[in-house]
Amino acid sequence: MEGGSTASPPFDASNPTAGSSGGASKFLANLPSRGLLSSTILSSNPGGMRVYICDHDTSPPEDQLIRTNQTNILIRSLMLKNQKGDIKDGKGTSSNQGSRKRAAEKALDKAAGKKAMSSTQLGASQEATSRVLDKDLQSLTVERLRALLKERGLSDELIARLRGFNG
Amino acid sequence: MSIWNYVVTAHKPTNVTHSCVGNFTGPQELNLIVAKCTRIEIHLLTPQGLQAMLDVPIYGRIATLELFRPHGETQDLLFVATERYKFCVLQWDAEAAEVITRAMGDVSDRIGRPTDNGQIGIIDPDCRLIGLHLYDGLFKVIPFDNKGQLKEAFNIRLEELQVLDIKFLYGCPRPTIVVLYQDNKDARHVKTYEVTLKDKDFVEGPWSQNNLDNGADLLIPVPPPLCGVLIIGEETIVYCSASAFKAIPIRPSITRAYGRVDADGSRYLLGDHNGLLHLLVITHEREKVTGLKIELLGETSVASSISYLDNAVVFVGSSYGDSQLIKLNLHPDAKGSYVEVLERYVNLGPIVDFCVVDLERQGQGQVVTCSGAYKDGSLRIVRNGIGINEQASVELQGIKGMWSLRSASDDPYDTFLVVSFISETRILAMNLEDELEETEIEGFYSNVQTLFCHDAIYDQLVQVTSTSVRLVSSTSRELRHEWFAPAGYSVNVATASATQVLLATGGGHLVYLEIGDGVLTEVKNAQLEYDISCLDINPIGDNPNYSQLAAVGMWTDISVRIFSLPDLNLITKEHLGGEIIPRSVLLCSFEGISYLLCALGDGHLLNFVLNTSNGELTDRKKVSLGTQPIALRTFSSKNATHVFAASDRPTVIYSSNKKLLYSNVNLKEVSYMCPFNSAAFPDSLAIAKEGELTIGTIDDIQKLHIRSIPLGEHARRICHQEQTRTFAICSLKYNQSSVEDSEMHFIRLLDDQTFEFISTYPLDQFECGCSILSCSFSDDSNVYYCVGTAYVMPEENEPTKGRILVFAVEDGKLQLIAEKETKGAVYSLNAFNGKLLAAINQKIQLYKWMLRDDGSRELQSECGHHGHILALYVQTRGDFIVVGDLMKSISLLIYKHEEGAIEERARDYNANWMSAVEILDDDIYLGAENNFNLFTVRKNSEGATDEERGRLEVVGEYHLGEFVNRFRHGSLVMRLPDSDVGQIPTVIFGTVNGVIGVIASLPHEQYAFLEMLQTNLRKIIKGVGGLSHEQWRSFYNEKKTVDAKNFLDGDLIESFLDLSRNRMEEISKAMNVPVDELMKRVEELTRLH
Repeated sequence: MEGGSTASPPFDASNPTAGSSGGASKFLANLPSRGLLSSTILSSNPGGMRVYICDHDTSPPEDQLIRTNQTNILIRSLMLKNQKGDIKDGKGTSSNQGSRKRAAEKALDKAAGKKAMSSTQLGASQEATSRVLDKDLQSLTVERLRALLKERGLSDELIARLRGFNG
Repeated sequence: MSIWNYVVTAHKPTNVTHSCVGNFTGPQELNLIVAKCTRIEIHLLTPQGLQAMLDVPIYGRIATLELFRPHGETQDLLFVATERYKFCVLQWDAEAAEVITRAMGDVSDRIGRPTDNGQIGIIDPDCRLIGLHLYDGLFKVIPFDNKGQLKEAFNIRLEELQVLDIKFLYGCPRPTIVVLYQDNKDARHVKTYEVTLKDKDFVEGPWSQNNLDNGADLLIPVPPPLCGVLIIGEETIVYCSASAFKAIPIRPSITRAYGRVDADGSRYLLGDHNGLLHLLVITHEREKVTGLKIELLGETSVASSISYLDNAVVFVGSSYGDSQLIKLNLHPDAKGSYVEVLERYVNLGPIVDFCVVDLERQGQGQVVTCSGAYKDGSLRIVRNGIGINEQASVELQGIKGMWSLRSASDDPYDTFLVVSFISETRILAMNLEDELEETEIEGFYSNVQTLFCHDAIYDQLVQVTSTSVRLVSSTSRELRHEWFAPAGYSVNVATASATQVLLATGGGHLVYLEIGDGVLTEVKNAQLEYDISCLDINPIGDNPNYSQLAAVGMWTDISVRIFSLPDLNLITKEHLGGEIIPRSVLLCSFEGISYLLCALGDGHLLNFVLNTSNGELTDRKKVSLGTQPIALRTFSSKNATHVFAASDRPTVIYSSNKKLLYSNVNLKEVSYMCPFNSAAFPDSLAIAKEGELTIGTIDDIQKLHIRSIPLGEHARRICHQEQTRTFAICSLKYNQSSVEDSEMHFIRLLDDQTFEFISTYPLDQFECGCSILSCSFSDDSNVYYCVGTAYVMPEENEPTKGRILVFAVEDGKLQLIAEKETKGAVYSLNAFNGKLLAAINQKIQLYKWMLRDDGSRELQSECGHHGHILALYVQTRGDFIVVGDLMKSISLLIYKHEEGAIEERARDYNANWMSAVEILDDDIYLGAENNFNLFTVRKNSEGATDEERGRLEVVGEYHLGEFVNRFRHGSLVMRLPDSDVGQIPTVIFGTVNGVIGVIASLPHEQYAFLEMLQTNLRKIIKGVGGLSHEQWRSFYNEKKTVDAKNFLDGDLIESFLDLSRNRMEEISKAMNVPVDELMKRVEELTRLH
């Protein structure tokens, strides 16, 4: 951020080059300088700065209009768990939710398999939710999601976090 | 006033919220970038100093500002995030001199509780991602790809809900944040997390540190080779990394800002809440931290940002006082300070209160603000226009012209002032006592009117009268040569340079003479078809003594013509149109552009850009300066040339950014002006006004003038009393010296000319002043200051006790006449039907002013009205009372005389948290609320049902983007009854960022016209960073976002005048209105402020 190189050597406090006039003097030696602001006349413009009038197009390049991934964190975590479960189970495409993302994520998830719910739990809740699209999940209230999580036997800790977030 | 309002900034924000240093405008250019809430200023560091480059308006309140450099870039990019959850990445395109948008986006989430401690925006030092903390429990990541492009953002759940600060650590293989947070037992800890972009999640970081200083509030990441983080507390500073932990105790202080000095991060500047600047040093050996040291350097304004620039020069940005440029000296001064203030940059923020007064009684408002906070508190006198500081004046009636002359060609100073009257000419000169004294120039005719005078080469002077031109030696003062007008003709108008004379006689004769050593030569004579009304040959070419062009104004065909010299060939003829003859023409040059100014007999001024090589006149513009004929004259001030337009509304014409600007002079009527640069009065002007000749100096040429009165304490309320020519303020002084910070509150009386404290009334312990008012009561001719106070007890949530104090000013002292205890804080006081109306906590209370049997006076409660959460702001009009509530928006009460009761008439049922209210007219009330919006509501007296009549209808909504603390009726400019602008009622507002703004109520036709212009301007003037103007001005709070209505953005509309001609024509075409008409209408509006 500061950019460029400083002309002065890196400061070393143990270096007793500065005068002995006490206090901060020895620490104020060798302040960085690139030869700017050397004149004592530091007056900036008296007549006011030029106001920038922007009459060119300011929309960003098409792919640089940034949006936030709309997948709810809960759903993402749910999907992660789900997927981890899937991997353990060897079930590839048990549900179609977020299937696009999954292929990519699956690879990473191998290592981090903690907190994954057991396949039986997953199986039990499958009926109710497996075909729910992630869009539908998003439209659910936090309460409903919480219930859903509980239904799926997710840890109390995650639910507590959810509660905290909501409050 | 009306519901159609025009909002415009008279004084831009000056509160510095952020600053940073980097190579933004070029790989080799070092910039200081300063954010002032809604504006970004770009400065360039040069060997000569700081050079201002550009002031960039941003359609948003800047929440974070960071420079960064993605891989492969040669210069820095600027990341800006706004409080309304927009962000953009800006890049400087040096070739086009444009700010281009590299990326932008919306980072808001539909669900989420906005953070209490402000938004955090940080960039990984290795440019792998941007991190944002906007909502509790969420950390938003915008990843970079390996080409430096941004990718889709995502949220990560952050377990810590009370986050105080987050920073990226340097030198980590994976992007790692350090989070400073508070747990639910109010203990503070830091924790680190690695961001795994693939999982879109956190992984526990390399280290954490529990139970830090309870005041720990700021993290400073340390760059390589040391790495790690500094944790700044109120009593300790800690250095922490995976392998080291060092702590030092510090004197209790709250660190508000820091700036890194060395690239290796071994020294930092810390600024605290008292404005003390410390140097923090990390001592290290072989890349291992061995300890911390802290040294006091000195005092600055209370800093909100610190940027080390170069060569020991540091920019200290401030929210509470003036920002500063300081130098760190190696050795302390006599007071032991290492800090030398090189320059101060005026900051009016926060404007807590202000009043509008006319101290000079000229019909021109001045704003006196309570500005700044803590030790940096001050009063600021803000006025529009240019002041003349009178140095000498004499009574002289009937002046018809004035010129200053030197006694020798090479004399740097003027000696003589030639003053012409209808039938005589008098010469004034400085005598040895530096007094103006009448003298004589023997070679001049003194018993006739002088038409023109000028210094000439070869130590000569020229005098033109109706019969002749006289060339006089300036040393012997004797006549050397004379040219006579032809018999039967008299000279009507004349002008001259050091080597030339141009004059016009009756019958349309134009005569051109040249001046030699003791000789006047008639070089050319031309016969024009009409009489000549005015002339000018002010040299604007390379030779300051010789003009190659002459400007001539004509009777009859109402034209202005350009002739070449010496041959008097006509090169350009421009018809002015209309029936008003030109009365004064002037050739002049500003910032390398030549102009022809032409003033008409009705106070209008035309200006043209003049092409000096072919005499072509382009870019014709017409402005109205006054109503009387104008006399134009150039003068110099601070090495720049300006034009003085003398008329009933004297104006200085100057140029800034290659645009002509007009600033009125704070004088009533000026008939003539000439520069008079004498040894005793250098750089002065001689000004002829009604019956008086004044010598004075002129203020710096700028539109708004600000005078600062530092108080050393925080003024919170101000009020002016015309009768006693005093101000009274409620102020508080922080006592920093004692161990426990304590504060003392005062009522202070100030002289309204000198602004000195002339009397002080200390308030009780825990008592603070909440409101102040100058008023008088029924059956009492005296005028009083009434002060409302509150006892703010540490253990109480809301004050339960306060006082109303009534003071009279006697012999320049505050005398307490009466006091009345109240059951709460007296938030507002108003004069009301000869009584006193107070807002006390949730109640509105009316007091009568009663005479006791013993002749003393007391306040006696008459009636009241309950039903508010906190009645904070009250305005009255007749029997109507408008209340701005803490949470319940605006309500309208009425006082019923017969019943002696106050009743609610109507209310706005929205839940606005108010920060100021004002009554625009009988039916329309203006409010400002704490989400930086303005709105207007209308009383519905015509409603069919009680329910309808009881509802204040919201008629206008607008996002100002500024926190308004006060509205006041009034104007910053001279209101001339005959000008269009003089008819427009205005309200002035003051804000936390130091903005002074104007809200003007327009007639509907004008509003509709300007709304169309605004719509068209939105298509041409784009928001920097792709931010939308329409969205920015939409009313926005937690509950709703709706398009602005019945408010116009004057700042956008007035920027029409800064557009290129082509752009103006585009708009003109789209609106089907001529460019000149558009310019005239917009220029008129600029006269509102």
